Formats: sequence, C-alpha cells, structure tokens
Amino acid sequence: MTATIPEQGGATAPTVSLATKGLTKSFGGVRAVDGADVTFHKGKINALIGPNGSGKTTFFNCVTGMIKPDSGRVTLDGRDITSKPPHRIAAAGIGRSFQLCRIFPRMTVLENMLVGVRSTSVLHRLGSSRNAGDIAKARELLRRVGIDHLEQSEARDISYGQQKLLELAGVLMVDPETIMLDEPAGGVNPALIGRIGTLVRELNAEGRTFVIVEHNMDMVMSLSDHVVVFDRGRPIAEGPPSLVQNDPRVLEAYLGV
Amino acid sequence: MPSVSDRAAPAHVDGEAPGRSRFDLTIVGGKVVLAVVLGALVLAFPMMATDAFILSVGVVIASYAAFAVGWNFVGGFTGYISLGHAAYTGLGGYGTALLVLELDLNPWVALVAAAVLVALLAVPIGIASLRVRGASFVIVSIALVLILLLVAQSWASLTGGAQGLRVPRPFGPDVLRPEQHERFFYLNVALVAVALAVWWFIDRSRFGTGLKAIREDEDKAQALGVPTGAYKLAVFVISAFFTALAGGMYALWFGYLDPIFQFSILIGSYMVLMSLLGGIRSLFGPVLGAVVVGYSLEFFKVHYGDSQFHLVALGLLLALVVMFMPDGVIPAIGALVDRFRPQRSSIREMTAEELLAHNASIDDKSAGTATATDDERDLATVPPRSGKDLR
Repeated sequence: MTATIPEQGGATAPTVSLATKGLTKSFGGVRAVDGADVTFHKGKINALIGPNGSGKTTFFNCVTGMIKPDSGRVTLDGRDITSKPPHRIAAAGIGRSFQLCRIFPRMTVLENMLVGVRSTSVLHRLGSSRNAGDIAKARELLRRVGIDHLEQSEARDISYGQQKLLELAGVLMVDPETIMLDEPAGGVNPALIGRIGTLVRELNAEGRTFVIVEHNMDMVMSLSDHVVVFDRGRPIAEGPPSLVQNDPRVLEAYLGV
Repeated sequence: MPSVSDRAAPAHVDGEAPGRSRFDLTIVGGKVVLAVVLGALVLAFPMMATDAFILSVGVVIASYAAFAVGWNFVGGFTGYISLGHAAYTGLGGYGTALLVLELDLNPWVALVAAAVLVALLAVPIGIASLRVRGASFVIVSIALVLILLLVAQSWASLTGGAQGLRVPRPFGPDVLRPEQHERFFYLNVALVAVALAVWWFIDRSRFGTGLKAIREDEDKAQALGVPTGAYKLAVFVISAFFTALAGGMYALWFGYLDPIFQFSILIGSYMVLMSLLGGIRSLFGPVLGAVVVGYSLEFFKVHYGDSQFHLVALGLLLALVVMFMPDGVIPAIGALVDRFRPQRSSIREMTAEELLAHNASIDDKSAGTATATDDERDLATVPPRSGKDLR
C-alpha cells in the first residue's frame, strides 16, 4: 500500500489532474513500473523523485503513450487516456520534455517551434507553416525563454542549455495544461537551473500543472508543492516536500539503510 | 559603458525579423536568373539535340528525374529510405500497359488510372511497412520488389512473364521516332514540374513541417502532437502515385516491359542515389541528381560498351560525392555560397541604451534565483555585462 502523508494545513482536498491506477510495465523479468497508483494535483508543481532505476522514466513514457503499459489505467482530469498514441495524449493537453533533451537538430530554432502547432482539420494542415500567427506565437515563446535571437540558427548549433530552453518553448507551442519535464536540470549549469525554475513558477502561476522528474533535490524542494517518491516501480511516499524529506522510507530507499 | 556601443549599429540590431541584406537579394536574383536559364535550356533541349540518340538520352534523364522526385516525397521528407520504389514504377508500367491491352483504355487514361490504383495499393503496403524504421524499412522495401518480380515473372498469362510485354505506342504509327522522343521528353518534364510543385506545396505547409520533424526525431514529433502514422502514410501514397505515373510514362515511351528491369533493385537504388547525390532536403536535388546519374550512366555505357563497368564507374562517382558532399550537391553549393556571405558577427552589437535595458531586464529576471544569466547564451550574442558579474 502507498503511504500517504497528509497535506499540511490543506483544508480542501486538491483536485486530481493526472492519475494512474495499478500501472504496470515489465521489460523481460524486470517490473519497471509495478502497479503504481499515483495522483498529481491540478494547478500544482508536482515532483516525481526516486533513486536511479526506480521506474520514473518508464512511468513517464507509459503516461505519455510512448510505451504501452501492460496493465493499469491512466486518467487526465478523469478521462481515460490509457495506451492512447502520443499525439492524442498531446492533443489531450499533456506536453512533455525528454530526459536527454530532444530537439530537431537540422531544423532552425523557429522551425522547431512550428512543429507543435495544433491542427484539427486537413485544410489547416495544408496551410502555410510560415504564417504570421504561428510565427508570432513562436517568437513570443522564444523571447519568453530568452533565445529569440537564435531563431534562424540550426538547432544543432546552439548550446545544450539553449536546446533545453528550446525544448521547453517547443512544448509550450502545443499549449499543454499539464507539462511533464524529465530532468529539466540535468546537465545544465546552476544559472540556467535557476532560470528554468523561474519559468516553471511563472507558467504554474498561469494555471499549468507540472509533473517534474528531477534528481536535483534543491530544485525539487524549492519548487514543488507535492512530491511523489518512487522506489522499485511504485510510490513509497507522497506529500509536501518538507515531510517527504524526512520520511524514513524515503531515506531508506535513497541511502539503502 | 563597453565599447561595443560605440560602433555604428548594423541594419538588424537585435536579430528581430532581420531584413534581407544586399547579399541575400543578390542570391535571390541569381537564383531567379539561374532558374530561367536552366528552364529555357531544358525546354530547348530537343531543338539542340543533334540526333535521335541524344534525344532518347534526354528522355531517359527526364524519366529518371520523375522517378527520383517521386521517391523523394518519402525519402526527403520523412527520411525513410526505400530501396524498393521500383515496385511503383513497375506497377505503374504494367498497370498502364494492361489497362490499354486488356481493357482497351485510352493510353493516357490508363496511365492516370494505373497510378491511382497503385496509390490505393500503397495504402496497405504503407500501413504494413511504415511500422518499422531505419534498416528494417529498407529491407521491407526490397522484399516488396522481389515479391513483385516473382509475381510478374510467374504470372505469364497476364504479364507475359519472362517473354516481356509489348506496350502499344500511344501516338499513331505516323509519328516518327525522334518526334515521339520529343513528345515524351516534354511529357516527362511536365510530370516533373507538377511533382515539384506538389513537393514545394507540402514543404511549406504545416503537414510538411510535421514530416520534416519525423525525419529528425519521430518520437519527439509525435509527443508534440504530430500524427506521425497518418502523415507518413499520406506522403507514402503521394510518392507511390507520382512514381507510378513516371513508371507508366516510361512504359508508354519504351514500349516493352520485362519484369527483370521493371522490378529491379538497381532502378530503386538509382532513385535513392540520384536523390542523395543532389540533396534530399532540397527541391531540385533529385532533378540535379538524375541529370548527373543519368548522363554518367549513358556516358559510361557508351564508353565501356556492354560490360558492367559503367556500374563501377558510377559507384566511384557516388563514393566521391558521399565523401566530399555528404548532404548532396545542392547543399554543398549552398554552403559554398554562404562562405562569401558578409560575416555575421558572432557578437550581437547593441547600442548603449539597449545594453542598459537588457541589463535591467536580466536583473529583474534573476532576482532571487541566480546571478549570472548570460552564460547560457554561449553564442555570445550578448556582450558581457561588466566587471561586477565576475566577482
């Protein structure tokens, strides 16, 4: 059973955004995700932490449809999105980044942004990709993350930190209500970590829900409202950062005592 | 304030919607002139050809160009390399011929009808084969050609088997050979033009952006909401349609179909090589590649007679291109032109006021988070703020 630490001072129960029930995925004999029941709170910054190999990324991939879970259910605002293809899940309002930042290397920064334009009709899809509306939106987002001056550069030519920002901006093009970031602070310098943290806070203040997998504990503890701790493919604790931090089960999972 | 501010500000100060520089305008003008001249040369080619053989080489090259442009709908946009596109030229050829022979259709109606049928057939083939990527897709595409080769050879009652199939000439017997070459040359050029127009239209559309994203990183594209399966299938069917049209046209011109040549890996490889050689990401890449490969093939054949040495020579040529111009000829030329572009300074120059405003905005943003925000701007488009960062 999942041990739930009660939220501090939370009189009203938080609204559930993304939730899983009994989510399971095995690779061969390894149960990467093992019957995980997880809920993430709407409008909050949720963090998903856990030791290496605890199944966080597999969990991410199951939720976003990149891999099909063996069993269990995934719901977003109560709607079942289990095993839907990734583009449908994106259309349902979940945007995600990848663990090792993934951008389209041989397209310009601006073209990278235009991939995420939402289309619903064939006619719209056949319309020009370089139209004023889409480009204005893309430029606005690039300005927001601070790389608008690079829009004509090929994405493979910009630095890793800039690529991380580009990936985030590209996800924002899709206008997702829920944003899942897989190690946003991985491999970037402290200044940029601060910048990404600020962006996450701002976007959260606009009402977007975040689910962040992260190993940088400073970032997790300072940023998140709700922390879920994973070990061996299932949550072992969840709650506000201050409580989770001192939970003996969490210490055990991390330190192996 | 730093000395950068003292310099005259260039035309596009902060990189916002940079206007076209004089250099860019020169390039655009040069491209227009080049296009007009090359277009005129292509249209005048039959008049300049000294004999029927040269004219027939022109038809072969135009035909190859149509093959390559058809192939490039899949290869260029999605990066799925099909070595088996001869399946569609072959089916287009046999389809056209059989519709004329069996149903007595008008040859031009048969040509289009066959291409439509091939496009329909490409739907299940695409659904099955586009599920696998990379080398697996290449192998599946080859398997398709080999299967069709066996079918065409074995089903002799329909296809004539190894005996081959005679295709009636679409123009009457009073149209002499050179004139027939000339007509087919123009027909192929028109087909290439239509295919290029469609390619261009897709290239600038949101659909095209999605396809190119698939070429770069398919999973990532799908995570951003691109319906990758439907996109790949759509462009695959378009590709099959145009390739089949080109194959049907070839059949009507050549007048004879032999399974060994119709469903050959070699023809499929030519399409790949022509496109790679010219540059699969550029509109005219496959056409240029077809001119180079088609001309070299005929040249080597004339020089080395019936031996297979023309293939060796072609292989050497392609090895050279791959070694020195891995992206193809057209991108290599583009890179060369770029070297003459007036150097864009790696440091974005700013006026003193802009620098002040910029610093102020950084101070706002970084309040409470971090101090140095400039180091992620590795391209150094922002000058160092001043000494106080380095404390």
